[in-house]
Amino acid sequence: MKNIIVGQYIPGNSFLYKMDPRSKIIALGLLMISAFLFEDISHIVYMLVGVLLILKIGGIPIMRIARGLRPIMILLLFTFSFQVVFIKTGDVIFDTELTLSSVNLILMILIILTWYFTRRYIKSRFLYLIIVIVGILTMLSLFSPGFKISSSDFVIYEDGLLGASFIMVRLIIIVTLSTILTLTTRPTDLNLGLERILKPLKLVRINSEEIALIISIALRYIPTLLDEANKIMLAQASRGVDFSEGKLKDKVMQIISLLVPMFIISFKRSDDLANAMEARSFIPGNPRTRIHILTWHYRDTLVMIFCVVVLASTIFVRVYL
Amino acid sequence: MAIKFEQVSFSYPSFDGKNFSALKNINLEISEKGEFITLIGETGSGKSTLVQHMNALIRPTTGSVTIYGIKIEKNTNKNKRIKLNPLRQKVGLVFQFPEYQLFEETVQKDIIFGPKNFGIKEEIAIERAKEIIKLVGLSEDYLSRSPFNLSGGEKKRVSIAGILAMEPDILVLDEPTSGLDPKGRDALLELFTSIHKELDKTIIVITHDMNTVYKYASRALVMYDGELVFDGVPNSLFSDKHITEWNLDLPDIIQITKQLEEKLDIKFDSKPHNVDELFNLVKGAL
Repeated sequence: MKNIIVGQYIPGNSFLYKMDPRSKIIALGLLMISAFLFEDISHIVYMLVGVLLILKIGGIPIMRIARGLRPIMILLLFTFSFQVVFIKTGDVIFDTELTLSSVNLILMILIILTWYFTRRYIKSRFLYLIIVIVGILTMLSLFSPGFKISSSDFVIYEDGLLGASFIMVRLIIIVTLSTILTLTTRPTDLNLGLERILKPLKLVRINSEEIALIISIALRYIPTLLDEANKIMLAQASRGVDFSEGKLKDKVMQIISLLVPMFIISFKRSDDLANAMEARSFIPGNPRTRIHILTWHYRDTLVMIFCVVVLASTIFVRVYL
Repeated sequence: MAIKFEQVSFSYPSFDGKNFSALKNINLEISEKGEFITLIGETGSGKSTLVQHMNALIRPTTGSVTIYGIKIEKNTNKNKRIKLNPLRQKVGLVFQFPEYQLFEETVQKDIIFGPKNFGIKEEIAIERAKEIIKLVGLSEDYLSRSPFNLSGGEKKRVSIAGILAMEPDILVLDEPTSGLDPKGRDALLELFTSIHKELDKTIIVITHDMNTVYKYASRALVMYDGELVFDGVPNSLFSDKHITEWNLDLPDIIQITKQLEEKLDIKFDSKPHNVDELFNLVKGAL
């Protein structure tokens, strides 16, 4: 449990690390807007190449990004398959008839059952699931002896495939860009950058300093609370709570025995922290100096210009082509 | 031997990849009956880590701990056939901060939580709770109160009661007297002594109070920088010349005796354990 590192920051030394967090956040925003403005599949692929170039120059291992994409893999596949199945314009690329018959219905149930019981022994479960689904679809289209129950057409159109790939590439670009930001910026710097960028919100009576303070305290206390949770688990384990096993009823009790002390300790901690801050005469909203001061370099200006040019050309392409 | 440490080392993983080694090559044997052990050492010397090995809460990085015949090594937990839970009933460990374990609505529920986890019937556990709450120096009315509305000392007693109710063979206490007033501290230590004497159980107490060590312990263990540097009777500990190196001090009574010896330029025959013994020594010498 001590290994958990907050955020995804990995230390490095490339220009992405030397940039000011403010310029990185603004650049991320500009590039994301352009990713949403592109309408043509070829343009977005150019953009993907550009993003990969940034990765290459910034010296970020591509595997690291791929790992970051894994959690949204399900979402990506979900949108991809829906787009492929439901967009029905353009040329037909692929056409087959899916027939559900008495024999392959039973086979299908058998396959699903074997998948259900064997999945825990397979290392890459996700790949296994996809293979099973593709296998079932192939079987439905090619092998259907016996009494026919129902049949439906399965048609893939060109627009569907293109649209699906388009959305997928767009999502990948967005996730990759934001991963670059979190990989190369310390949470504290990110927070400071956000605070500075949101400062104009003071006009609408939103105090960005307070928001930033809340975020930084939350970040600061994650390791502390994890440590505390670990100690509570040990204390309860020595009273016979076995966190690794037990029936559902026991599980609920186990969680309660962990959560109640956790809540009480957190409240006490926040109370102590508030007192400690007051004792050092912290007053919310008062002007304060900073120990870390953000500095804007020429490279930040260059990146800003680059991003504005990208956005401007995107708008140009969108409006005139 | 109930608990046997063989070349145990333990290191905590840390953020920067370097490991912090909390225990270095510990060899130790603790018998099932009749020992009153105090574990002393400066803050951060590995005392708490050592006692957490005693009921298999953490596993050694190298070496092995054998608890009641069950050998705990680095990979023991991955093998699900070995049940560690029964060990925790035999070796009861009271943590330093009661906040980490109190969670029920009433004190009674909290005390019977441990015994119930080890399969003891609720009625029997409630009977035990009624006896034990008096043992730790609280009245029976406390059973129906909420554990969160108690003072620090009362919480501490309730948390100790929660472990005592499990009726462990060996009782391990991590700084049980910190945050208690002198009267409460003495009462608790008397309670441990009576459990030790009447039921002949082994008690292990982590403490910073040398008077406790001198007055109650039959054996003292000293930890210094992750190593077990002393294992023996308190009498020889306090005549050991390394004692200042380990950042320990002497019990009050020994300090007074030493001062008297220097000022009066005499040598007493024995070391006194309390004021009366010192008085007799001084009387004999004059």
